[in-house]
Order: sequence, then C-alpha cells, then structure tokens
Amino acid sequence: MELDSIPQSVRERLDQIGTADLVVGLLSNGTGPGGESVHEIHQALKAGFGKLRAVIIQDGESALEPVEESESQIVLSWNLIGPERATSPAPSISDAFQLMFTASQKLEARACCVVASDLQNVTSGWISGLTQPVLEMDYGLVTPRYTNQRFEGLLNTGIVYPITRALYGKRIYNPMGPDLGISGPLVQQMLAADPKAKATGNRIHPVASLAPTAICGGMTVGQAYLGARVYPPVDWTNASSLLAQVLGSVFLDMERYAVHWQKTRGSVSVPDFGEPNTVTEETGAVDVKRLVDSFQLGARDLQEIWSLVLPPTTLMEVRRLSRQAPDQFRMPDELWVRIVYDFALGHRLRTISRDHLLRAMTPLYLGWVASFALELETAGPGVVERRRERLCEAYESQKPYLVSRWRWPDRFNP
Amino acid sequence: MWDQVQQALNQSMVRLLSQVASLLPGIVALIVAFVLSVVVAGLLSVILRRFLVSIRFDERLVHWGMSSVAERSPKNSPTRLVTRIVAGSIIVVGLLIGLAAFDATLISELVVRLFAYLPRILTAVVVLLLGSIIARFLARSVLIGGVNMNLQYARLLSVGVKWLVIVLSVAMALDHLEIGTGIVNLAFGILFGGIVLALALAVGLGSKELVSRSLEREVNKTPAPMEEEPFRHL
Repeated sequence: MELDSIPQSVRERLDQIGTADLVVGLLSNGTGPGGESVHEIHQALKAGFGKLRAVIIQDGESALEPVEESESQIVLSWNLIGPERATSPAPSISDAFQLMFTASQKLEARACCVVASDLQNVTSGWISGLTQPVLEMDYGLVTPRYTNQRFEGLLNTGIVYPITRALYGKRIYNPMGPDLGISGPLVQQMLAADPKAKATGNRIHPVASLAPTAICGGMTVGQAYLGARVYPPVDWTNASSLLAQVLGSVFLDMERYAVHWQKTRGSVSVPDFGEPNTVTEETGAVDVKRLVDSFQLGARDLQEIWSLVLPPTTLMEVRRLSRQAPDQFRMPDELWVRIVYDFALGHRLRTISRDHLLRAMTPLYLGWVASFALELETAGPGVVERRRERLCEAYESQKPYLVSRWRWPDRFNP
Repeated sequence: MWDQVQQALNQSMVRLLSQVASLLPGIVALIVAFVLSVVVAGLLSVILRRFLVSIRFDERLVHWGMSSVAERSPKNSPTRLVTRIVAGSIIVVGLLIGLAAFDATLISELVVRLFAYLPRILTAVVVLLLGSIIARFLARSVLIGGVNMNLQYARLLSVGVKWLVIVLSVAMALDHLEIGTGIVNLAFGILFGGIVLALALAVGLGSKELVSRSLEREVNKTPAPMEEEPFRHL
C-alpha cells in the first residue's frame, strides 16, 4: 500500500514524528468502552517501555477519548477502517493492517502491534505480551493465544489452525490473530509482497499471510497468552462471505508457499509467553438442527458443484452422512480433512469460479460445526483441547493425500 | 427422314458428351480439392493436437476459468474441439475451391453472400456462448446463495434463472440472424409477459394470505438474543 493512501494531515504528522521504536494500532470497532483501554495502554507503555518512542494509532477520528501525549508517547487518530466494515469485515481490516504497516515502515519502527479485537477485554498486558518478544528477543511474529470457550473461534479450530500447523509445521493456535505483534523486517516483507501479489491478480490479505510469510521467511514465531477475547456475534446470513474471505486467503497462501510446505513434515510447538488463563467450564446441550438442515440441503442441492471438487469416495461418504439422524450426526475427522484439502486443490485448479467454490463449502463447514458441537455437548475444557488435538493430528496424517493430489491432480484421484 | 433423326441424335449426344467433357475437369478438380483438403486437414489437426497436448491446453483452459468450454467439448477435451473446428474449416474451404472450378461467378456470388452474413452468424454464436456462460454462472450463484440462505426451493430458482437467460440469449441470437424476427419478438413478449402475469396472479389471488402472513412475520420479527447463540466462528 502506498503512502498516498494515508490522509495528508496524518502524513504530515508522521513526517513531524520522524522515527519510532513501536507503533501500536487499535482497530476498535467502537462497540467497547475504548477510551479507558487507550488510557490503560498509554500508562502501560509509559511504565513498560519507558525509554522507547511509541506511536499509538487509533481508529476513528473522534471515537475515542483524547489521550495526553508526551515526548515518547504520541497518539494519532484516523479512520483506519472504512464504513463498509459493518457488511464486510475482512477486507477493511486487511486495509487497516496495510495502513498500519505503511505507517510503521514510514516511522522505521522496530515493532508494530495491531489490536483488532473489541477493546472491551483488551488490557495493557496484551500490548506488552505481543511486543516484548519482538523488541527484546528479535521475534518476527507474536500471535495471540486466547482462552476460548468450546465453541468460540470455530473457523480457526476447524480449519485455520490445523491446516497452518499441518502445512507449515508450527503449532500457532491463532495464526490469523487478529491481535498481533509484528517485527519491522516482517512488515517490510509484507509490504514488498503486496505489489507482487497484485501484479499476479492475487491480493495479499495481511492477517492471513503474516504467519506463513514469517515461517517461510525463517523468522521466529511465538505466541502470547492474552486471556479471553470478545468475539463478534455470528451473522448467519454472512457466514458464506466470511468463509470465502478467510479460506480464500489461506488457499492463496498455500499456492504461494507450495514449495515450502510440501517439504515440511510433522509439527513443533512455538514458544509461549505469559501465563495461561483457566477456562471456565461451560457445558450443556446446543441446538444444531439449523446446522444439520443446512448440511442436508447442501447435500441435496449442491451435489453437482461438489462433484467437481470432491472425489467420488468422499462424495459418497458425504451423501451417507446427510442421511443420518440429527442426534446421530458425526462427521469423521478424516472425511472433513479430505474435504478441506480437496477444496484447496479445487481453488488452485480453478475448477469453478473461486468465489462459488468457497461459498459452496459453507454447508459442509456447518455440518462439521454441528458434528463438533454434538461431540462436545457435555465436554469439559480438557476434553475440548484433546478433541482439537485429534483433529490437528488428522490434518497432519492426511497431508500425504494433499501432497499427492497437489502434485498429480489428474493421476491421483481416489 | 431417318437420317435427319439420326443426325439430331448424334448432335445431341455430341453436345451432351462435350458438356460432360467440359464438366469433367471441374469434377476432377472438385474431387482433388476435396481429397487434398481432407489430407491437409488431417495433417494439420494431428500437428495441432500434438502441439496443444504439449502445451497442456486443456489444463490451461481450466486454469483460466473456462471449464465450461471443456464441459461442452467432445469427450470433454477442448483440444479435440479446436482441432475439429480447424479441420472442418479447411475441408469447407477445399470444397469451395473445388466448386469454384465449375462456375467461378456462381461461387464468388455465394462466397460474397456468405461473407456478408458471416458477421451476423459469428455475433449470434458469441451471443449464444456468452448467454450460456452467464446462465450457468448466474444459476450457480443463485443455487449456492439460496442453499446458504436455507431456501428449500434454491434449485428451482437456479433452474428458472438459467432458462430465463438461455431463452433471452436464444431470442437475441435469432433476432440478430433475422430469422423469424417478428415471431421471436412476439413469442418472447408473450412468454415473459405470461410469466409475470402468472406470478402476479399467483401472489395476488392464490397466495394473498400467505404473502401477508409472511410480510407480517418479517415486520414483527424480533432478533434472537445473542446469548442464545453459542457459536463464534472467527
């Protein structure tokens, strides 16, 4: 993203500031009591990084309360996220990340921290947790590790985390943040990669690409325990758009780093910072009828489209699954993983329009969510964690299937 | 008398034979041109097929997002389609060259008329092709969107959209070819008018109460409290 995309007044301010050690971006969506958090963060930065010159950039020109500035603590406000956020969250957050990167590079910052979660739960510890490893231990990227309830972050649990782990060999629990600590060199890499990707018609989505870029660039990746995060409520009418945006970015990165991940075997943990918070047990039955209905409707009407992507055996298993009673509904991990891998391959081969392909996956994803929810109806946190681990192992054990289909899509078609 | 009849018969036979003799080079030329064009078409199609296979034309086409071409090609192979089009064109050109050996003026007139009509044919083909692609794309969009919105009649909607676009593109193509222009326009107007009228009657008379109940539900619908929804995706 060019400097021109930053408003003239902000650019002039950045010129006045010159350089900074740390750039902190607060992409609050305005639903939380943000002002308090900004003050807390301000105080924490003063206390924790006394000698460092930090620039806090907050979204919205007047959304948050004004904060007292000092020589080493500068606060800038500008509309990082456009008004279209309400209908389409991912692209505007991507743009905001790109703006943060541009500002960070302009200020030659050693670290950039972006907090995109609702500021309701954000504490000053989040900023220090995400930036200290970057500033003091030369980490390339620090990702968050939230204390999730069993059905929070399902897209991450079901696809993003396990596929990132299986592909790139690092157990990064939240590779897409969205609260992240990023080093200066990684910011530069992301900015350098964007024009190249645009030239090939594939726009980089920084939130999704940060972890793969850091890993494939040989940078050290860590994760910080941040506690509970406030998740945005589910918008069922927009579930397919969300899925298309997130998976589109993940699958594009798979293409970009195919040479790297095909050589990677197994996975290793990455260093954790901070103390893990205990999860309050949450049990009880959940209503999955709507999810199972969506899956069954998809199995009835989308067979023609799925058959362009899924091999006959997988398609047969999906058909059999659609005949199961809602309370007996269980999708085996191996089947789910093969579906995800087959869609990744379909995305690469452009078997059909990419947008159609990704949106056609929605009923399958909802089917997996229903199966996952039914399995964990009465499960405690330990069981949930083990269940997640089992799914990740399935992704790793099925990786040879992906590699074979990726290399020989015509010849290897079970 | 008999001599005169014999002479007339001889003359007519001579005339016929001389006419046949004058046609013979043309027939031979037609056969030669046809055989040569078949041989050239065969050779060129073999060379072209090898070339297209070597550059993995079929896969590239799918990679460029033109999988619908593959689906419509003989044996799902666009390579086969291209080679057949090239071979067919060469054979047609060979036939025209052969026919020109009979009567150059007749053929040149035919060629002139053909070339004058060719742009219309090409445009109609393009309209049909685009219509087919757009119909398929829209049908898929409606089907996927409908299923994701949990609409039980998503497939019906999708098929409806597909045929609507196909009928529209066929009518446009026929209109462009100037084939039964009046009939096509009339038929198209009646068809669309009929559909709209049928829908209006169905909603206005048959499903009046259903529609009002549905609208009432939409207006009075209160959003479910967020706490009841345990799922958070991202």
